[in-house]
Amino acid sequence: MKKTQKLTFISLLVAQALVLYVIEGMLPLPFIAPGAKLGLSNIIITVCLYIFSLKDAFIVMLLRIILSTLFGGSISSFLYSLSGGILSLLAMYLIKRLGKNYISIIGVSITGAFFHNLGQIIVAALIVNNINIIVYLPVLAVAGIGTGFFVGITSRFLMTYINKLPFYISIRNNKYFKGD
Amino acid sequence: MKLKPLDYAVIIVLIIITIGSSGFAIYNSQKNYKNKYVEIEVKGKLYKKLPLDNSKKEQIKVLTDLGENIIEVDNGKVRIIDADCKDKICIKDGSISKPGSVLVCLPHKVVVQIKGENPESDALSF
Repeated sequence: MKKTQKLTFISLLVAQALVLYVIEGMLPLPFIAPGAKLGLSNIIITVCLYIFSLKDAFIVMLLRIILSTLFGGSISSFLYSLSGGILSLLAMYLIKRLGKNYISIIGVSITGAFFHNLGQIIVAALIVNNINIIVYLPVLAVAGIGTGFFVGITSRFLMTYINKLPFYISIRNNKYFKGD
Repeated sequence: MKLKPLDYAVIIVLIIITIGSSGFAIYNSQKNYKNKYVEIEVKGKLYKKLPLDNSKKEQIKVLTDLGENIIEVDNGKVRIIDADCKDKICIKDGSISKPGSVLVCLPHKVVVQIKGENPESDALSF
């Protein structure tokens, strides 16, 4: 269980998050509000937060955002993703830490979805220099419940399979992998 | 599919936020404003301000270095009918007519909002 193995595992997660992001871009989703998305790549970030640490989840998120910007994003989409990503990851980490056994991956992921939308709307408000954009907040809160629930259920399914992976079982109790 | 107590708490808090903020917005838009007007802002600066009149139809071209939007004011409603950005989210947003509503074109940093003026309390919309 050395550094290289962990590096490979994290690279795999980044690649998966990136693929999910690209696929999400191809889906013709009904328009809800600016900043509202399905957040498929959040499945990977949430799972990463559960199997690794905040630091590793942050690395996966950051790499995913940088790579997806290279794959056809703009500097403003980079800013939206980054602010939403950081805010959502921190919120998920905090509620997971505070909630301990009283919260499941679904609640964590709903929190993440809402804060992701919130982060994007804050950057949007800063970019156009107008705080009134906050009227989109109710729409984003509802969208957060929906998409977060979906992402949470998927993450839970994924977790049950990851927990059975021989590779993951062998590394799970390794201090180096789990080290916060 | 088992949910834990805090999962419900998160959902309930979000529902409260939704109901609270949309209730506040509805409350603001239901007030009887004497004058309603449309404000078009670009990069946070006022570009044009015009009354929201029920009779005349007007098209405003917002041309900046970032791009072009065409805004239509008609029958007390405002909508963006054309934009040369790639996502066209502002067009899909439809039309707005109540004070407090906004239309946003993020790539061009254009914000169209309806404001109400109440001569009695001088309160601006939310």
